[in-house]
Amino acid sequence: MARITTTDDRLTVELRGLSRLWALRKGVTAPLAHVRGATADPGARREPKGRRSPGLHVPGIAAVGTFHRDGARTLWEVYRGERAVVIQLSDEPYDRIVVEVHDPRAVVEQINRAVAQRA
Amino acid sequence: MGRPRTFDEQAVLASAGALFVRLGYASTSVDDLVTALGLHRGSLYQAFGSKRGLFVAALRRDVDAGLPELPPETDEAVASTALDLLLVAVLELAPHDSEVQGLVSAAVAVLADRYPALGPDGPATLLGRRLLARAGHASAPQPSRPGRT
Repeated sequence: MARITTTDDRLTVELRGLSRLWALRKGVTAPLAHVRGATADPGARREPKGRRSPGLHVPGIAAVGTFHRDGARTLWEVYRGERAVVIQLSDEPYDRIVVEVHDPRAVVEQINRAVAQRA
Repeated sequence: MGRPRTFDEQAVLASAGALFVRLGYASTSVDDLVTALGLHRGSLYQAFGSKRGLFVAALRRDVDAGLPELPPETDEAVASTALDLLLVAVLELAPHDSEVQGLVSAAVAVLADRYPALGPDGPATLLGRRLLARAGHASAPQPSRPGRT
């Protein structure tokens, strides 16, 4: 599970536990101006992940790390995936972040509201 | 980055609007959208940012087009995807989404403009009647207005 926080102008996605090891990252932070939106999307877990660099990929079990597919660079941290949230970015090293959170509905609303208030 | 857009955006927005009307905003999953629109998931996110972004784009398209294919003022049972999408926006998104609130206001202005005979409460009357018609409830015939025969 990732921890997602928003401030007046930034979004921070924090990886925890072993995920940091697999992804070789503590997380991602981006200005809200570069966040295009968030969606609760449990079906995202079944998407082909693409090429990993670096990351852990055990199909059906876990996808954690940086993956490249169709020219898009995505940070994945998905184990079971029922609570996956997709965050689309622009002009950032990552095009997309797909992580699991405890309460997808609340997180999605929080991000989209923060983005709207800034705009 | 990602691959350049290779789909007909207008057709995608029309199909997305019809799906949101059929299933409601909250119940429409990205799986539903990907299947109905024939888009890759990545393309959907790349083009619209989120499910909300897609909904807002579909609603904005209707509002910009002056809410196409509105029913005649005497027959709210005539289905209008634009009117029904507006109802979904009013019920599900507008209460907590200021951008959707703005689009709803613009749509209400379009309705007031289009149905001057219904008076200042025209948009409310029309939306209320359409809501009841969707629920299978036929409105009573409209009373004749003073000054008309």
